[in-house]
Amino acid sequence: MTTITLMKQKLLILTLTVAAILAGCSGDKEANPDPIQGRDNTAKTVTVALLPKIKGIAYFSSCAEGAREAADELGNIELIYDGPTDGDPKKQAEMIESWTVDGVDVIAVSPNAPDVVANAMREARAEGVQVITWDADAAADTRTFFVNQATAQSIGVGMVNAMVNDLGPDTEGDVVIVSSDATSANQNSWIEVMKPAIENSNLNLATIKYPGENASQALADSQDVIKKYPNLKGLFGISSVSFPGAAEAVEQTGHSGKILVTGLSTPNEMKKFVHSGTVRSVVLWNTVDLGYLTIFVAEALATGKLREGATTFTAGRLGEKVIAGDNVLLGDILVFTKDNIDNYDF
Amino acid sequence: MTFKERLRTFRWWHELGLVILIIGLLAVAGTLMPRFLDLKSQLLLSRHIWEMAILALAITLIIITGGIDLSVGAAMGLCAVAFGMTFQYTGSLVLSCVAAMLTGGLGGAVNGALISKIKVHPLIVTLATYAAFRGIAEGLSQGVSYSQFGEEFSQIARGKWFGVPIPAYLFLAMAVACAVFLSKTPTGRFIYAIGHNEKAARFSGIDVDRIKFWLYASSGMLAGLATLVYVSRFDTAKADAGTGFELEIITAVVVGGTSIFGGRGNIAGTVLGLLLIHETRLFVGRYWQMDELKSIIIGALLIASILLYRILSPKKGRE
Repeated sequence: MTTITLMKQKLLILTLTVAAILAGCSGDKEANPDPIQGRDNTAKTVTVALLPKIKGIAYFSSCAEGAREAADELGNIELIYDGPTDGDPKKQAEMIESWTVDGVDVIAVSPNAPDVVANAMREARAEGVQVITWDADAAADTRTFFVNQATAQSIGVGMVNAMVNDLGPDTEGDVVIVSSDATSANQNSWIEVMKPAIENSNLNLATIKYPGENASQALADSQDVIKKYPNLKGLFGISSVSFPGAAEAVEQTGHSGKILVTGLSTPNEMKKFVHSGTVRSVVLWNTVDLGYLTIFVAEALATGKLREGATTFTAGRLGEKVIAGDNVLLGDILVFTKDNIDNYDF
Repeated sequence: MTFKERLRTFRWWHELGLVILIIGLLAVAGTLMPRFLDLKSQLLLSRHIWEMAILALAITLIIITGGIDLSVGAAMGLCAVAFGMTFQYTGSLVLSCVAAMLTGGLGGAVNGALISKIKVHPLIVTLATYAAFRGIAEGLSQGVSYSQFGEEFSQIARGKWFGVPIPAYLFLAMAVACAVFLSKTPTGRFIYAIGHNEKAARFSGIDVDRIKFWLYASSGMLAGLATLVYVSRFDTAKADAGTGFELEIITAVVVGGTSIFGGRGNIAGTVLGLLLIHETRLFVGRYWQMDELKSIIIGALLIASILLYRILSPKKGRE
């Protein structure tokens, strides 16, 4: 075979490859219309980018479900839901930058590390994009509003009340808090509320453990305190990682029913512990409603219905919500028990 | 020279193939999403690639010698922690930058010494330091993230001169220097010789060990430099800096036509490989809004580039 024919063959294959790629891309266009492109045709459409800490975990998927419901109900929303699949905050920053360039109207961020995304959020605001936070807050100058799922007060008091009621108000003994990282802002604000609430009960806070967002460390720390405090009556697992870890430790050491575990996590994660009796109450907020409210706030900001300084806000089926400073409050916590936990799927 | 002969001696088939792919991609992206080709946003979003691009230069040289450096990402973690801790104790940005560069250089020198003096395979050495650097970084910092380095410092990565991001100048200068070094200096040609046949290179009097040592040491120093850009971009220095960089960089270099077995490759190919991967990621991210698609597409690109090489390379002289 001569070089020329060989070369012709190669060029032919290359051309076919490129053609195949082109065909593949354009073929998908019908199925995936560019969400931002559509905005130019109907001037009133509001493009909202909803950014979770991690894409693909139950907690945020349920938030996204509520967001889609709100988008359908409002009718003028193009909703983009995307986030890093590995929870890397640096990818969050890069996504904010891409959305800013693409000219979305609102970016709603649940920052995994507020410092990392701060510059990208400030840049977006300088370019005229409305930036809000939801689920977790960032520095005040990086966003206009924070859609706050529940105040530290209601979460902290809610967990202590659940423990006291489930144990019986007269029970005396030790309790231990298993938190997340020692630097986790959310968890620390709850602990500040829990401390005086525990003091006012007949219980005694023996210690606080910080296993980080690490399931095996949470298990090991819980096993340690079960051994160390013979008069231990209850464990608080106050992150969605430490709560199942603490419950697992109680079951593995055969203390189910003797040491009660309460805390904060998604219902699906805790169902088996609730049904086995190790856990009686799971505290959380309605995550579907959180996503729903976030989209309503985003739409109202983009259309000028909501301005800084407002004190109330009406959000569809949720009715009127209070705005405290720059926090839009979703409201009360939800307590899942044996009776209602099977009604929730997230 | 006849046309036939010209065709036979044409050395740039792979680069040409990459250029066609990039043009094809831009054409598709521009059709589906006209604002994708907007120069201003392209320049702004280019900041997602500079740290990797800087490191890819060193990795290209290392892979041409038949070696590999898996530890660059982890070295960035170590440099970031050195930067953050120095800043915390001294409050001086200059000292912090020096600390990061020194740490990177030192880490690279450890790799270089183990590979050239003790003659352990680079894959084993850098796999070990990959784990060790990240471990030391996490142990030293205890997972703390250092931040608030000030608005001025964040301008290194986010600032612009004449509309072009500042790291671009840094990268271009280094890329040109690297390309000239590789193709015009004796040491540059020795690097190819080592990759072709290390034993033969040794017998012909090339100081293989010295060249190797300095290549790995400079890879470490570049990791220090890349860390500065990275820390500036996110205003955060943490032990997880540069996670996963090693694999993406090696992908870009291999897509760029550098043979993983050594002896073949050039800087132009690496630049094109970086560009193809960067634009692909941008397009997939901005058009489909699905983070999970990006890594799938990058994997597909790697396979496609190997096929492209197989199709385009004349059998003689190249394998």
